[in-house]
Amino acid sequence: MTEIACISGVELLMEYMEGTLAADVRAALDAHVAGCARCIAFIESYQHTPRILREATAREMPADLQASLLAALRARRGGVGDDR
Amino acid sequence: MIVPAPDPTDETLAARAAAGDDAAFETLVARYQHRVFRLACRLTSETDAPDVLQDTFLQVYRNLPSFRGDSQFSTWLYRIATNAGLMLRRARARRPAESLDMFLPQFDGAGRHAQTPEALRMVCHVDELLDRRALAQKAQAAIERLPDTYRSAFVLRDLEELPTADVAQVLGIEPSAVRQRVHRARLMMRGYLSELAGVEP
Repeated sequence: MTEIACISGVELLMEYMEGTLAADVRAALDAHVAGCARCIAFIESYQHTPRILREATAREMPADLQASLLAALRARRGGVGDDR
Repeated sequence: MIVPAPDPTDETLAARAAAGDDAAFETLVARYQHRVFRLACRLTSETDAPDVLQDTFLQVYRNLPSFRGDSQFSTWLYRIATNAGLMLRRARARRPAESLDMFLPQFDGAGRHAQTPEALRMVCHVDELLDRRALAQKAQAAIERLPDTYRSAFVLRDLEELPTADVAQVLGIEPSAVRQRVHRARLMMRGYLSELAGVEP
């Protein structure tokens, strides 16, 4: 089985999470991570990154924008199909 | 007992709208406006999002007759919205993205993580260390700095949480290319958050 260092483990991480790694590579990565406290910590932080940015950038559409969007779309459409 | 009719599918509404049923079109707008607005904010900014939103639905309306239904309506809509965001960014002629390579993970000569587990894990707590408002601004600025190709893939996959296969369809690239771009973006964003959490790169 191929030995994996942290650096190559990081490169494989997305494929690992998505389940697209070959079984032997996956097993080698599992074996490395099991004994590597740094990789365990890194993977945890890698998994938290999308969540933190998702929560920080979640915006609600203002109610007045809903009304103005509808009005703008109606105005631009004119009669049925005129704008097409 | 009256069983309510199930809501019509997007594809049914799209077909009706294409045939001139404006109420069907407005139902689609109502169904997707929140998602398109949120996507537009993430791809551009809160200031530019209303323009992207309007442009997206106008294009949807104009192009509905050519929507063939060989992809899902939502995929088709996301493609239009993503391109509208990109067009607006180009029109704004923003500064070219600065390199984010400095935020990529660091390794020692033996290929081991250079940082301690404690330092590596600090990222997980950045949302407890910074107040909401500051983090929201920093997060938007970080996404802004990503190169266009990475930003679209990252926003669609990780922030809008579309499956990789759908992102591939929206962007017209292979799933393996989506994974590669999203991975690279995650590494950069992770390093950026790490610095926000006070860890030296």
